[in-house]
Amino acid sequence: MNIRFYILRRVALIIPTLIGLSILTFAIARIVPGDPVGLAAGPRATEEIKEALRREFGLDQPLPVQYVDYISGLFQGDWGQSLYTRREVLGDLRTFWPATLELTTAAVIIATLLGVPAGVISAMYRNRLPDHVARVLSLFFVSFPSFWLAMIFQTWFGRDLGWFPIGKRLPVLVAPPPATTGLFLVDSLVQLDFETFAVSLRHLFIPALVLSFGAFASITRITRASMVEALEKDFVRMERAIGIPYRVIIFKYVLRNALIATITVISLNFGWLMAGAILIETIFDWPGLGLYAVHASLSLDFQPIMGIAVLYGIVFSVVNILTDIVYGILDPRIRYG
Amino acid sequence: MAEGHNHPKSLPHKEGETSPPTISPARPGEGRDPGMGGAHSARWDNLARGLYRFRSNRLSMLGLLMLLFILFVAVFAPWIAPFPEDASGATNVLERLQAPSEKHLFGTDKIGRDIFSRVVMGTGLALQVGTVIILLATTIGVTIGAISGYAGGWLDDLLMRITDIFLTVPALVLAIAISAALGKGIINAMIGISLVWWPGFARLTRSLVLSLREEPFVEAAYGIGAGHARIIFRHILPNAVSPIIIKMTTDFGFAVLTAAALGFIGLGAQPPTPEWGAMINDGRRYFPDEWWIATFPGLAIWLMVFSWNLIGDGLRDVLDPRSRR
Repeated sequence: MNIRFYILRRVALIIPTLIGLSILTFAIARIVPGDPVGLAAGPRATEEIKEALRREFGLDQPLPVQYVDYISGLFQGDWGQSLYTRREVLGDLRTFWPATLELTTAAVIIATLLGVPAGVISAMYRNRLPDHVARVLSLFFVSFPSFWLAMIFQTWFGRDLGWFPIGKRLPVLVAPPPATTGLFLVDSLVQLDFETFAVSLRHLFIPALVLSFGAFASITRITRASMVEALEKDFVRMERAIGIPYRVIIFKYVLRNALIATITVISLNFGWLMAGAILIETIFDWPGLGLYAVHASLSLDFQPIMGIAVLYGIVFSVVNILTDIVYGILDPRIRYG
Repeated sequence: MAEGHNHPKSLPHKEGETSPPTISPARPGEGRDPGMGGAHSARWDNLARGLYRFRSNRLSMLGLLMLLFILFVAVFAPWIAPFPEDASGATNVLERLQAPSEKHLFGTDKIGRDIFSRVVMGTGLALQVGTVIILLATTIGVTIGAISGYAGGWLDDLLMRITDIFLTVPALVLAIAISAALGKGIINAMIGISLVWWPGFARLTRSLVLSLREEPFVEAAYGIGAGHARIIFRHILPNAVSPIIIKMTTDFGFAVLTAAALGFIGLGAQPPTPEWGAMINDGRRYFPDEWWIATFPGLAIWLMVFSWNLIGDGLRDVLDPRSRR
């Protein structure tokens, strides 16, 4: 089976999952014991006003009708409206999503840059001091509540030391680069605007660093475990016997064999960090999906929450497919079927 | 809950420590199934060996000590906390926003509550939250995973598709949605988190059952006429216990973290509950000038999660010899 067909099939398989996900989110949104309409209308609203609001949002229809409306809307790009702002959910997601994507991607990159070498060193110095240090450090940092550590780092590095800005994506007076992708780093590079690039990188660094700690431990552990396994393979002994330098063996042959498992964990972490970003964003006033999600969930505004869940589902599925494709590049033995 | 004003649990008799050693009586339930005797003793041998390896791992022992300390604090919280009433709504505005001092070890918050007392009184709550979430998630996940792996066919497909749906969205996002829908509060937050935490256990159990179901002893049990329930519960699941326990232990800390995150967002525990995440949220507006309000609950969360992670890491080495060599 060739790879193009395989990818097509995987993409097609996202659809039933997303339908299931939409049923799940719809069910969650409709078990609300609270009264979202009442909340949105305000404490003084009369029955008529609430009734009108319900009609406006289709909440007076029978549940199956509401669901069919919702799911057909999803496929047509109508993801509903916020009960409060009356803005289109899909439009809001478009506005906020790039900020979260940029933060999460940066965090995953940092976690990989820290975690993979830590895992390699652990495996090379198995059960010796560097191994123990890496293990303790990774468990040490992953155990902090990220939102708390974010607060501490914000104060240390932002306020006291003044090395980094304390929040947001850019200073108020700096105009964001023209939006192509919405990722400020990419957009400013495309415009060759290195000043904006540097400024947004400085804004991004501390939030991304704090977020990356959540993934550091699992990446280190899996890299170490698969390195240890690969180091015991016969080809390693053979390569050492014919005199290939140890460093070359490690980085050229063993690491490549070990990376398959690591990549799985990295892609899983992408999803987890995307969720963790919700907490980090509230501290750094990062205008992404997190702030949007927190505000919506506190005010029982379910259309945005359903939208976020569906968006996260799509992103996670796509990341999974990309991971499978990367497998094939790294390990030619893997056949898609 | 640790905040109860009831009497301390009666301690074991002191005399017991000096009494001569006696041969311990047979554990209840043992010998009920003579056919399984051999399997049991092999299992106990493994356990003893594992215990030895766990004890020789200094980091895990450190984690265990930390956890024992936490348990001690949780049990004796009302006696350790100088102002236990501060955890249940008492206020003392005259002493608000005081920096840490001899009287208030961790300082006081905006309405004069003693942070130290609230952190101490919140210990039991955090332990309970983790326990409930993990037990609920394990029960749901192991049941679904065992049925799925054992039954196979369309039932397996159906259950795994449902599991996949939960796994496509990060747990925290769904937990936020469910807790928001159920309404703010620590109980609802626990339900919300449990409802998104089981898929991992289901996947794990299914994979274990899938391989165990092919074992000759399962076939033998089937051959002598054992029912499906008996095969699952007496023959398959006991052999799948170790990986499930590892996952329960490593997940415990993260379940506590997730509950704290919901408390921090404002969806979890509501005031005046001394929940650590909610306390951090409380102290956020006063940070960093009155840094103590948010700092100490955060350190408490860290201590709890770190101890579980150390234990989980050690257990993984003991019970899954492939993972650390």
